[in-house]
Amino acid sequence: MRRLWLPGGLVLLVVLVALAAPLLGLPDPIRQDVARRLAGPMPGSPLGRDEFGRDVLSRLVWGARASLTVAFASAAIACVVGTLLGLLGGWFRGLGEFFAVRSMDVLLCFPPVLLALLVVTLLGPGSGTLILVLAALYLPGFVRVTWAEVLSARSHDYVEAVRALGAPTHRILLRTVLPNIAGPVLVQLSLAVASAVVLESGLSFLGLGVVPPEPSWGLMIRGARGTMAQAPLLLLWPCLALSLTILAMNLLCDALRDAADPRTAPAAPPRWVDRLLPGLLPPPRADAVLSMQGLTIEIVTPRGTIRPVEDVSLSVRAGETLAVVGESGSGKSLTALAAMGLLPPAARPVAGAAWFQGRDLLRLEEAEHRRLRGSAIAMVFQDPMSSLNPVHRIGDQVAEAIRAHQPLSARAARARAVDLLRRTGIADPDRRARAFPHELSGGMRQRVMIAMAIANRPALLIADEPTTALDVTVQAQILDLLAGLQRETGMALVFITHNLGVVAEIADRVTVLYAGQVVEEGTVAEVFGAPLHPYTAALLAAVPEGDGMAAGIPGTVPPPQDLPPGCRFAPRCPHAAPACDAPQLLAERAGRAVRCTRADELALAA
Amino acid sequence: MRATRRSLIAGLPFLTLADARAQRAPGQFRFGLSAFPPSVQAWANTGTAAATVKLLIHRGLLSYDTAGKLRGELAEAWSNEGAATWVFRLRPNAVFQNGDPVTAADIRWNLEQMAAERSTAFYRNEMQGIERIETPDERTVRITMKTPVATLPYWMASYHMGMVSRRSTPQQQIGAGPFILRGQERGTFMDLAAFDRYYKPGLPRLKDIRIIAYADETLRVAALQAGDVDLIEYVPWQSMAGIEADSRLTLDAVFGPFMYLVFNATRGPLADARVRRAIAHAIRRDDIVKAAFFGRGAPLEGLPIAPQSEFFDAELARGWHFDPALARRLLAEAGVAGGFTTSILATAQYGMHKDTAEVVQQSLAAIGIQAELRLPDWATRVNLGNRGQYEIAVQGTATDNNDPDGISNLVDGSLSPSYVRSLGLRVPALEEAMAAARAEFDPARRKVLYRDAQRIALQEVPICGLAWRSQGYAMPKTVTGFRNMPGALSFFSGITLEETAIAG
Amino acid sequence: MIWAAQRLAVSLLLVWCVASIVFLAIHLVPGDPAELLLSSGGVAPDPAAVAELRERLGLDRPLLDQYVAFLAGLPRGDLGASLVDDYPVLDEILLRLPRTLELIGAGALLAVLIGIPAGTRAALHRGGAFDRFASALAALLLAVPVFVVGTLLVLVFAQMLRWMPAGGYVPLAQDPGRHLLLLSLPALAIGKGLVAVVFRMTRTAVLDMLARDHVRTARAKGLPPGRILRRHVVRNALTPVLTVLALQMGSLLGGTVLVEYVFNWPGLSTPLLRAVEARDYPMVVGIVLVISALFVLLNLVMDLIYALLDPRVRRA
Repeated sequence: MRRLWLPGGLVLLVVLVALAAPLLGLPDPIRQDVARRLAGPMPGSPLGRDEFGRDVLSRLVWGARASLTVAFASAAIACVVGTLLGLLGGWFRGLGEFFAVRSMDVLLCFPPVLLALLVVTLLGPGSGTLILVLAALYLPGFVRVTWAEVLSARSHDYVEAVRALGAPTHRILLRTVLPNIAGPVLVQLSLAVASAVVLESGLSFLGLGVVPPEPSWGLMIRGARGTMAQAPLLLLWPCLALSLTILAMNLLCDALRDAADPRTAPAAPPRWVDRLLPGLLPPPRADAVLSMQGLTIEIVTPRGTIRPVEDVSLSVRAGETLAVVGESGSGKSLTALAAMGLLPPAARPVAGAAWFQGRDLLRLEEAEHRRLRGSAIAMVFQDPMSSLNPVHRIGDQVAEAIRAHQPLSARAARARAVDLLRRTGIADPDRRARAFPHELSGGMRQRVMIAMAIANRPALLIADEPTTALDVTVQAQILDLLAGLQRETGMALVFITHNLGVVAEIADRVTVLYAGQVVEEGTVAEVFGAPLHPYTAALLAAVPEGDGMAAGIPGTVPPPQDLPPGCRFAPRCPHAAPACDAPQLLAERAGRAVRCTRADELALAA
Repeated sequence: MRATRRSLIAGLPFLTLADARAQRAPGQFRFGLSAFPPSVQAWANTGTAAATVKLLIHRGLLSYDTAGKLRGELAEAWSNEGAATWVFRLRPNAVFQNGDPVTAADIRWNLEQMAAERSTAFYRNEMQGIERIETPDERTVRITMKTPVATLPYWMASYHMGMVSRRSTPQQQIGAGPFILRGQERGTFMDLAAFDRYYKPGLPRLKDIRIIAYADETLRVAALQAGDVDLIEYVPWQSMAGIEADSRLTLDAVFGPFMYLVFNATRGPLADARVRRAIAHAIRRDDIVKAAFFGRGAPLEGLPIAPQSEFFDAELARGWHFDPALARRLLAEAGVAGGFTTSILATAQYGMHKDTAEVVQQSLAAIGIQAELRLPDWATRVNLGNRGQYEIAVQGTATDNNDPDGISNLVDGSLSPSYVRSLGLRVPALEEAMAAARAEFDPARRKVLYRDAQRIALQEVPICGLAWRSQGYAMPKTVTGFRNMPGALSFFSGITLEETAIAG
Repeated sequence: MIWAAQRLAVSLLLVWCVASIVFLAIHLVPGDPAELLLSSGGVAPDPAAVAELRERLGLDRPLLDQYVAFLAGLPRGDLGASLVDDYPVLDEILLRLPRTLELIGAGALLAVLIGIPAGTRAALHRGGAFDRFASALAALLLAVPVFVVGTLLVLVFAQMLRWMPAGGYVPLAQDPGRHLLLLSLPALAIGKGLVAVVFRMTRTAVLDMLARDHVRTARAKGLPPGRILRRHVVRNALTPVLTVLALQMGSLLGGTVLVEYVFNWPGLSTPLLRAVEARDYPMVVGIVLVISALFVLLNLVMDLIYALLDPRVRRA
């Protein structure tokens, strides 16, 4: 929000000054005093006088009115009409699309100067005509951008989902699609406003713009060009006013886009001091491939620092499969990303260690970490469609993973890639290697992702909900594939999921996360057989039969900025007691661990 | 078929350009014009840029010397026999650029063609006033007019009166001037080469001339300063001081063209001569000179008769001096003491028209006349002017020559409606005085007649003079022989290119 | 195949629409070519001469007749001849169009060479010194009109330093060195706006790409940062950037008039402007026809390039 202040204030200032021009007590901007033409700064005229002896400051302020009216009005008209046409054209397709988009092509075919010339000569020069011309010029840009965005948004899951829910079209367009196309449209808007003011000056230069003596920045620039040799400053003022306005507009549009889309928020600078502090934690378990201890992640947000992951410990041995279970927002993905060194820029590990092959992953130099990524540690992500680069052939993408870590020729890497595709069960791998991601099915894509992950024989594979986006039969195939590969290579597997059915099928051990903390840990048999934590029990109870979603627990996970002081599950826990208001510690017991003071009194194994 | 042939012919000059030198070739003289001539047809009016080129290719019977006096060209002598008859004696050695001698029969053919039914000649009307043309011998042309015309020699000296060979085609006119058009790229440049059999011995001095159009005045000056060209026309007023200060360059400027107002006198307060006089007295002409012409001009407070003209009258020339009190009185007399609302038509396409209109608007506001500016493009402005769809309009021009008869075109309400004249503004006394002066051969009596005409005009205000503007040529100091012709003849300056040379 | 034919039909329809609209509009605009031609230099033409010239130029015929005659000439490639000097419109276009295209191409090249790397860098170091500097510079470039930039360039390089000619044109075949010299300043002037626009679009697109999943995948593969940037960020960001660039280039086809004017570059925009000013109807309609046809062609080429850049488009 803070980033909106400066540019917003600047734009507001320009607009206010323009609006308040009559109240500022400036000299008459059209009053000539030819005796003082081109005079420098003088009392009453801090910026001097122009070629007719008119006060420059006054003309600058009054000119802002004319120029900004033209620029904002034309850009706004083009934006509203263009976005609307683009929305309609993109949504309804067919005839609507034809008229909305093709008519823009007609408009685009006109050379802008000719369009301006024709309209201006037909309607006579003036601000109104200018607004019309400029709006017409920018219209196609908005229509195109919106149309393209709507087309791609239509196919997105969330839009499909809202549609399936039977929401009326206009609501989908306004509530779902519009916010998602806001970014490009805003950029377009700032560009349109900027170029409107510039075009206004160009058209004025050709004598087609604002009618003198009404001041406008464009007319001032045109007039000043003639006297450039005598009075260069006359050129500077309107250009400067114009640049500042455009810059402020750009910044404002950037800030607005960020506000609408937090994904692109800027990174907080990393605190190097954190990297230098030695780990004050116990050494890793000797036999573990990955041993994570006391991992805490902080994210600095405008509303304060949050800890979406706090004191998380987990470990996995070679050939072992560890399932990390939890609802969305439990911090399981962040934990995995921390091990990979792929945390989003805003998130920082502030405590803990993640030991892997004798090195603490949380304190590795980026270059060193990069050498591990994709070779010794690999990761498979949830959505194989978006995780694959749509513009490269899948064979190339797999080969790229190989060559990042092995000195192989392109040919050899390609052959290896085809081999890997075959190993992951892709039929006709030679041909498929030349396919693009969109040409494959979802299961096929995930096989490609897995092929990429195992390309360099990793010691540890982290799979983050690899089957969630897939349908049930394909899920089973992928799980079989992973299990098979693990048997062959003996790699350790960390399997992140919220699906307990999957856990039962594939995992040896399980770690249950809730609101950024480990609440229970142990072998699958023990934990599922006799859950110690009420949350684990609730999760298990929510599984209907076989495989299903853990959906049946009343209430939601508390947001990280609003955690209860004691047991984080207490607000949803049927067994909550006064003792639960105190912070809970993770207690070890017989190869298992649980974070619940009442674990002993409760008999949860039902 | 027609299109194919035409494109072939039109394409030819371009083809010959394959080896044209765009870079300075030794001996090539480069002249930056303000516009590309739409055509160089000898008789048609296609603007002043074309006039300059026409003066290179063509010669008429007469022209002017650098003092502005008539001199012989194809004709070496001329005189009038009685009131309506003029006799021209051709020089013996003049030849067209195809080698044919220029004969009396050629001249007769030219004048007849100009007057012909489908002619686009600028002087068609005038030539239609010819009663008969006699050619008693190869070198004598005797022209008898239907009415006496004292100004016929001025017509014959016009750049619209170049004589061409009878073997000319519409695509390629064969002139008798000092340079031959060798090639051109439409809109960009023209290449001319010296005609080796030009009738003046030793002329032209230059071998090759390349005419380049620089529409942007700033660039035109830049091209001169960068050494890209050797001569530019229409030096922008704001650059004149800089060129004068530059030790390498020469500025040659004269007051020739002028700005003035025309009125729509068919309706409203402007139909009243007192209102027009009020306007004439209200305008701060110094401001126009300063703002539109950077001081490179002079107030024009009467009819546009140049101070160096023998018809100039110092007192009458100040007839419309700035006097806002008088202007208000005149408005009160006309019954519009509180002023009125009107509009000023000009064009934003040309800065001087726009700037002049802005000052006029301010001046009128000072005496209570609220005028809205209308600044369409030039074509629309001309159209609106010709159709009389305006109240007050700003206009700029130069008369055809320095003779006061050139003004009659602007003030004679009996002529067809045109954007250069006021609309529906007849002043019979003025028309009579102008006509009488045109038919009068005695200079002293002409002087009296024109003095009367000026008096009438000052009262009736058929047009309102605003300002003389400086018309400048600039060149490096190494260029010799080129002269800016005096007064209204400035646009005839191209004629001196035959004597121009460049050192080094 | 059917799709291609359909596409072609739509394109032809488009060009016809534009030509017809322009034909009608330019005739509706006040002003009379015959009158203007004879009024050159601020003199009063003879009404009889104007009427005769109108007749000779065929302007006295009903508009529909003129329109039909115009359409009838098209299949033969006859765009008519200028009303001013009878010069064939097609010849004029063929002579000048390549020069305008060259100017736009040079500007676009600058935009790609400067705008894309600078935009990428600004996005990577978002909020940093370079980003702030380049964004401000881009705003400045967008703000200063091309005729001011052009004049300044001429002032500095031709008038003050005398390094360059002030303007003009020499065919490439005749003198390549001088040709490029003369091209450089107008290309800079054209390019300044394109660079700014491409910079902004690249910055936005790269920021967008950086947040995409496939970039995370690329990092997870352990690819070197340079390779991630080239193959997975910039490569994917090219589509929107080139869309904007193509739109800008398209609008420049007839819109380089100010640059051509300020540098005396004899391209196609100047005759278009002059033709409108002189109400030279065949010239206006002919030039617009060719420009719109080119624009349609540009769109087709862009579609091809999209298909190359983004395989998802190939299906459509």
